[in-house]
Amino acid sequence: MQYMLLINESEDAYTGENAAQVMEETLAGHLKLIEKLTESGTEWSGNRLREAHTATTLRYSGEGDGVLHDGPYAETHEELGGYYIVDAPDLDAAVEWARMIPIPGAGSIEIRPIWPEDE
Amino acid sequence: MIEAAKAIADARPRVVSALAVHLRDLDLAEDSFAEAVEACLKLVEPPDNIAGWLHVTARRKAVDAIRKREAQARAADGEAQISDMENILTLPEPIADERLRLLFICCHPALAPEVRVALALRVICGIPVSSIASVFLTSETTMYQRITRAKKKVREAGIPFELPQRRFWSERFGAVLLTLELAYTAAYQDAAGEIDPELAEEIARLATLVTELFPDEPEALGLAALIMLARSREKSRVSEQGGMIPLSRQDTGVWDRRAIEQARLWLDQAARAGATGPYQVMAAIQLTHARRMFDGTTDWSAILTLYDALMIMRPGPMVEVNRALALAECQCDAAGLSALRAVPKDRVRHSRPYRVAQAKLLERLGQFREARAMLESAMELDPPRAERLFLEDWKANLPEG
Repeated sequence: MQYMLLINESEDAYTGENAAQVMEETLAGHLKLIEKLTESGTEWSGNRLREAHTATTLRYSGEGDGVLHDGPYAETHEELGGYYIVDAPDLDAAVEWARMIPIPGAGSIEIRPIWPEDE
Repeated sequence: MIEAAKAIADARPRVVSALAVHLRDLDLAEDSFAEAVEACLKLVEPPDNIAGWLHVTARRKAVDAIRKREAQARAADGEAQISDMENILTLPEPIADERLRLLFICCHPALAPEVRVALALRVICGIPVSSIASVFLTSETTMYQRITRAKKKVREAGIPFELPQRRFWSERFGAVLLTLELAYTAAYQDAAGEIDPELAEEIARLATLVTELFPDEPEALGLAALIMLARSREKSRVSEQGGMIPLSRQDTGVWDRRAIEQARLWLDQAARAGATGPYQVMAAIQLTHARRMFDGTTDWSAILTLYDALMIMRPGPMVEVNRALALAECQCDAAGLSALRAVPKDRVRHSRPYRVAQAKLLERLGQFREARAMLESAMELDPPRAERLFLEDWKANLPEG
């Protein structure tokens, strides 16, 4: 079963006094996770996303065509920063991978099963 | 036939749990059990081992359903799917562990806490959705949607049908105990047992099961003891007229001595683990009340000390209310009343026990007019019938003033 792990984190965490160090540690955390995923033979993919200010949202009000807006889909302090897609036997296994994703400040990780093409 | 009906009801949790765990599908387990029951009721003679018979029959019904589903799928995309029919046909007999596993599945932290309770009551206890809805003061439609959504999440999000690894036990264990506690409280609130008289029994049975499977968990023993003590007084809680009888006025001769003894044994066993927790303290409070059966008195200072401990372990408005009543017994009614009035108002705004406790102390202090007003405001909070009768009777007997 494939799960998408959506990383919602606060960009502020990367702009403080020790921004460089936080970034370095977070990247190291991701590299460690990637190493473990590869070691375990788990199929995975993932990407880092550009900051929220680069986001454009196509919003539908429920009537007619969607309207383009500047910015991410929700006005929050936590932004979608990246994602992984991992192949895991069940939710608990997916949660285990999610727990290994480094989050330097406040944030959350949404774990969503991917709808298989044949269903 | 009545005996057969009881045997079917008794077998349900065990058989449905075994089916659900092996089929990995809560709906299919419930549906095939229902079909097996239907077949069983058509038999001229009920089978000797009803649980075993239902299990085997339900399993066959499930295999038929899967076969049908697979045939439809094949017809749909022209491709054969791998069947795990072999596994299903060679299922072992249901074991106690499967009920526990299902309880753990229903208490998965990926499900919302209020949904865990409802799902566990539905799937493990087989309580009708209408009864669960009334226990949780919501509409049947809402409850049905919640349970359906939860089952769907179990299936589609891939919540595993396994006991979690030991390091995650504590996280789930709390939810398992909380589920049982809430379920029991809900069943017990209605003194006359109008909601579902079997609900309390079923939850008590599951709590006992948890102690059997986790004999080293002192809080499991504490919860089981707490429930057992509540059950020991079941027969003395309602008067012949149907009114609730408060603990202090219950006839201790009707209390179940064996249930009290069992609870005491569990608490002793829990104490040996040396890890006190809120359930053990709550049970110890009830056990102190139970001692009235043996020596006719109530040790209020011991009860006050236990409530003090509970205030640290699990503070809450109801603990404060009960502590204030114990304080009134130990010191004076005025002290109890001022402790009650110190409880943050916003947390007890809709609490009947809070208003009833105030009425009690006001009456003792001779402030009958205020006591009457408090009883009236308690009755505005829609008490169950037995409690309403008790409150009305109390109000009618208050002196003028």
